Amino acid sequence: MSDTIELAVTRYRPEQDTQPWEQRYTVPCSDDMSVLDALNYIKDALDPSLSHRWSCRMAICGSCGVMVNGEPKLSCKTFLRDYREAGVLEVRALDNLPVERDLVADISGVVEHIEAVKPWLIRHSEAPVDTAHSQTPAQMARYHAFSQCINCALCYAACPQFGRNPAFLGPAALTLAQRYNLDSRDEGSSERMPWLNAEEGVWSCTFVGYCSEVCPKDVDPASAINRGKVASDINYGVNLFRLLRGKGDA
Amino acid sequence: MRKPWQPQQPRSWWLRNPAYRRYMLREATALPLLLYTLLLLAGIVQFSRGEAAFATWLSWLQTPAGLLLQGIALAAALLHAVTWVALVPKILVIDSDRLRIDPRHVLRAHQLGALAGNLGLVGATLWLLWPAGGA
Ligand code: SF4
Ligand code: FES
Repeated sequence: MSDTIELAVTRYRPEQDTQPWEQRYTVPCSDDMSVLDALNYIKDALDPSLSHRWSCRMAICGSCGVMVNGEPKLSCKTFLRDYREAGVLEVRALDNLPVERDLVADISGVVEHIEAVKPWLIRHSEAPVDTAHSQTPAQMARYHAFSQCINCALCYAACPQFGRNPAFLGPAALTLAQRYNLDSRDEGSSERMPWLNAEEGVWSCTFVGYCSEVCPKDVDPASAINRGKVASDINYGVNLFRLLRGKGDA
Repeated sequence: MRKPWQPQQPRSWWLRNPAYRRYMLREATALPLLLYTLLLLAGIVQFSRGEAAFATWLSWLQTPAGLLLQGIALAAALLHAVTWVALVPKILVIDSDRLRIDPRHVLRAHQLGALAGNLGLVGATLWLLWPAGGA
C-alpha cells in the first residue's frame, strides 16, 4: 500500500525554544511500519534535526518510549496501521518526565529510583563459586513476571502519583524491590523494606492501575506494588514485635 | 548547555484518559457514601429528639430527593465493592513453599464472603423487625 499518514510531533529545541510546539510531517504508511520507522523516516528523509531515542527495534532495550495519541507506548512496538482511522498520530515525549529535546525524555530520575531499591541478589555470605544457588520452577514462577521489566519508564509516564510527586519511587523501582524480595535465593529484604515502607514507597500508590495497562512486557507493576503494601504491613508487625524484644528491624 | 523542559501536571490530568476517568469514578464513590453517612447521623440526632422529629426524618427518606440520594449511595457502594473485590487477586497472593492458594479461589472466597455478609445482614434485620412488623 502506498498511502500516507500524518504525524503531529511535539518538538522542543532547548537552544531556540522556550516551550514545546507542534510540527506536522506526512510519512508513508504501510502495514508493517512502526511509529519508530516513521520517526526514522522523518529523521532520514524530511528533517534531520528531529531527536528521538531507540536502539533494538524489538521491545527489548526500552529506550524508544513516547506518548502516542496520549498513551505511553514503545514506538518500535506500535504500528501505524492501528492509527489509520484516526488519520493523525500525536507523538510527544513521555509524560511526567523532563524533556531534554524533542522526543527525548530524561529518565535519569527513574534510574536513580531503580538503583535505590538495590535490584540485585543480596547474600549474607557469598557461597563458594562452584555451588549454584538452586531454585525450583515454582520458586522462580513467584517473581518471574516482575523480572521481565526493560526499564522503559512507560509506567512512570502512566502514573499520576509520580506526575504529582517525582520523589515517589514509582512502578518499576517498587516492582524490582518485590522481584528480589520474592526470590528464594535473596537475603536482602531487610535492606529494601525501608524503601517500600517509606513515604515515597508503596504507600504513595493509590492503585490507579494504568501502569499495568501500558506495560509492554506484562510485568503488572500495580500488582507488585500492592502486594508490597501487604509485605509492608507484615514487616511493620514483625518490627513492632522485635522492638518489644529489643531487636533491630527485619 | 542543558535546558530541559519541566512539564507540569495539569489539574485536568484525570480527564485526559479513560483509565484515569475510571479510577476517579471509583475514588469518587466515597462522596455519596459520605452523604449517606451524614443522612444516617441525622437520623440518630432526630431519633434523640423524639418521635415527631424521627417521623419527619423517616418521611424525608421517601421524598424524591431522599430516594435519589439512597439510590446513588447504593450504586456507589456496589461499584466500589465490585471493582475492589476484582482487584483482590492482584493484592492478596498466597504462594509460599508451605501454602499456595489458587488466585481464583481467593477471588471466589471474597465474593462469597461479601454475599454471605450482605444476605446475613438483611436476614438479621428482617428477623429483628419481624415481631414489631407483625404487631
Ligand atoms: S514495569 Fe513495564 S512499563 Fe514499567 S519500566 Fe518495566 S517494562 Fe516498562
Ligand atoms: S527500540 Fe528498543 S524497545 Fe523500542
